[in-house]
Amino acid sequence: MSRKRAYRSKMRILADMMRAIQSEGEEGVGPTKILYAANLSHDRLKQYIDELVNKELILEEDLDSNNRTYYLTEKGREFLREFIRIERFSEAFGIDI
Amino acid sequence: MQVIGLIRLDLLFETISGIIALMVTYYATKAYRLTGQKKLSDISTGFLVLSAGMFGRVIGTWYFFIQFGGEGSHLIISIVTIAYGVSRIMAYILFFISIRPSHTSDNQENQNGSGISLLLMATFLVDPSLEIIAIMVLIVVVLQSILNYLSTGSKFARYVLVGFILLLLSHIWMAQVTSAPVATAPGLYLLSQGAQLLGFLSLLVMLIKAGRD
Repeated sequence: MSRKRAYRSKMRILADMMRAIQSEGEEGVGPTKILYAANLSHDRLKQYIDELVNKELILEEDLDSNNRTYYLTEKGREFLREFIRIERFSEAFGIDI
Repeated sequence: MQVIGLIRLDLLFETISGIIALMVTYYATKAYRLTGQKKLSDISTGFLVLSAGMFGRVIGTWYFFIQFGGEGSHLIISIVTIAYGVSRIMAYILFFISIRPSHTSDNQENQNGSGISLLLMATFLVDPSLEIIAIMVLIVVVLQSILNYLSTGSKFARYVLVGFILLLLSHIWMAQVTSAPVATAPGLYLLSQGAQLLGFLSLLVMLIKAGRD
């Protein structure tokens, strides 16, 4: 029995994007992979990536205009660890976040 | 003298449970601030109300019963006991609201909500005992926790389920004690308080395990 998720909060979308970046480790990840992993439209992807960069949760490396790579910062790793703890806590009470 | 010893042990159990309730409050508040999920705020308020009731009972009972040997303090003890009972019912109603499955439609939620309200009103009309009302609400909370555990299979949900089942057992045993004086049923009284403590310890284990990296 799997529970249907009604909607994804903004925080969960940001966490999904960061998880996609973290899964690639030190090598970093391009925008297409984040887009598929987090299941986002192109416009929303750009909007959320800007937000993550502004909050210093991810780092953008712009090799050229068509080849951008994103890395998780230490602040981003700590945020993701905290999110996972909160996700478990919410799951314990059956609360979707 | 045996009753005084029993009450002292009960107050110790209650204090530990109150501290754990405060820890859950802190964690739920932190989660609410990060996610903005209203149900986490309800969980936080529920445990805060619960801990306030517990500490109120500990302080009230200690001050008026242990210090003065219960002489001339029956009215105040009654007030403390009623306030404690009401705070627990308020907390359990908040748990019911927050644990309610989120994927049901608004319409269904309203129907379920009015259903439980009528059920609660009926218990007020049929039996004024706060213990019985707490049991009624907790049965619904336990059923919700069972559904949550079955749908997620999460070990964290299991600890919460065990916690609420033990709290329910604690109320059932306490309801049996209230029909007889504590002095005549000390074992059942202690069993009830022990079950409550174990319930909160189960929540503490959940907090520790959820907080691990």
